[in-house]
Amino acid sequence: MTSGRMELVCPAGTPATLRAAVQAGADAVYCGFRDETNARNFPGLNFSGEELAEGVRFAHDHGSKVLVAINTFARVNDVGLWKKAADTAAECGANAIIAADIAVLDHVAKNHKQIRLHLSVQAAAATPEAIRFYADSFGIRRVVLPRVLSVQEIAALNRAIDVETEAFVFGGLCVMIEGRCYLSSYATGKSPNLNGVCSPPEMVSYDDEPNGTAARLSGFTIDRYEPGEPVGYPTLCKGKFKAGGKTSYLFEDPVTLNAGGMIAGLKAAGVTALKIEGRQRGKGYVTEVVRAFRKAVDAVEQGGDAIEIDRILAGQSEGSRQTAGAYSKKWR
Amino acid sequence: MVTISTEPRLPAVVRHLFPAFAGLPLGPLLTLSLRSLAGRQPRLFDRLGEHRTACYFIDPVDLGFAFTVVPDAERSIVRVVRKSEAATSSVQIRGPILTLLSLLDGTLDGDALFFSRIISISGRTEAVLALRNTIEDAELRPADLLGLRGALARLVDTGILGALGVARQMADRNSRREAPEA
Repeated sequence: MTSGRMELVCPAGTPATLRAAVQAGADAVYCGFRDETNARNFPGLNFSGEELAEGVRFAHDHGSKVLVAINTFARVNDVGLWKKAADTAAECGANAIIAADIAVLDHVAKNHKQIRLHLSVQAAAATPEAIRFYADSFGIRRVVLPRVLSVQEIAALNRAIDVETEAFVFGGLCVMIEGRCYLSSYATGKSPNLNGVCSPPEMVSYDDEPNGTAARLSGFTIDRYEPGEPVGYPTLCKGKFKAGGKTSYLFEDPVTLNAGGMIAGLKAAGVTALKIEGRQRGKGYVTEVVRAFRKAVDAVEQGGDAIEIDRILAGQSEGSRQTAGAYSKKWR
Repeated sequence: MVTISTEPRLPAVVRHLFPAFAGLPLGPLLTLSLRSLAGRQPRLFDRLGEHRTACYFIDPVDLGFAFTVVPDAERSIVRVVRKSEAATSSVQIRGPILTLLSLLDGTLDGDALFFSRIISISGRTEAVLALRNTIEDAELRPADLLGLRGALARLVDTGILGALGVARQMADRNSRREAPEA
């Protein structure tokens, strides 16, 4: 069981969102550079070196930490951009670098010993053996857990390892083994894990047609919406397809992870930090979600129950539906 | 199925104050304002990257005219255009004028408005995303667009944002009156 107060780790896609997250009660914010070194490489999003330095100063002045995601995998024979990103993050005074590629982990471990290394969810490390390898080889201090583990499995894992664990509690879900998704790569030629962008927007289109609006990715129809029906961003894993004569969400329903009711359980399982997904989301979303989780975490830390977090966050969920995901596996 | 926007639209009397194709020098004034903003906050336009030369067609559905905007920092151009000129632009963004203004001042979340179909977009999705993220980060106030600072800026912001708030309430009441029974 974790002895200290759990840390609330919140997303920041832009400097304005970083400030909003800090002011809403984030213990730490995570962000990335404006290039393919991080897994949210979307147009107009992310930080320049100068913006990161200002963001770090703002966060530290308000008692929050800044974790920099350099969590995509470097190109063959071209790790320079990733090393430079790590060097800039260290120069800016970031508290930690979140990485998955062993070349990046190795560079940080050897050249920036003062900065903490967190193992990204992109590394998909979910066993004591895998986590110990990263801890022994690179001195990682924390592992961000893949969203495939139950609370009981996390508790068992924490008993077997000596590094901190960070668990996602809210936001989008991936159906594939984290860090190894090829669906978007197949359709678009760009990889979430290498280029940092799932469903690149230059290949997304919304086409109004007589039978509704078609959402397409690289020409593939991912979903079709009736006039007036809420639409979603077309990702293949959450697309609606016809198979066996039946149209359904074949891979994954468009639902949002909400483990707000499991904060006490995660604390008891030894989790150190709770992570909110959504660096691509706006200030309004981040502010509301961070405030709700701040209250919930504080309530749990004071021995009470989490507040009615499901009701508060209902409007922020993809497709207005929520799930506890693998934290409460009912299929095992 | 009929699309019914629940977002506030301008009352008819206000809509009729604007001519179908505005003869006011709105374009040159907004161009000047945007270029002046670029001079004061050049970093703001960096976020747009290659999309600063894209042509955005902004269509306030409750007004009789539209705008095209090329947000290219100190070379920015804003034009008041006819609604029929959408085809020449890279991106088309449509929605009630008060909703579009709320996006600009950050009162409303662009994602939520798009996913709930209150605003619609077509054209180059990546250019829309770049613009949305740029506006999100800019945290623009009316005084920023007017180039004002200090006490006068605060006064103008309070006045304009207050007036917009009243306009939204009026439009909200108007929309409820005009909406058909479900």
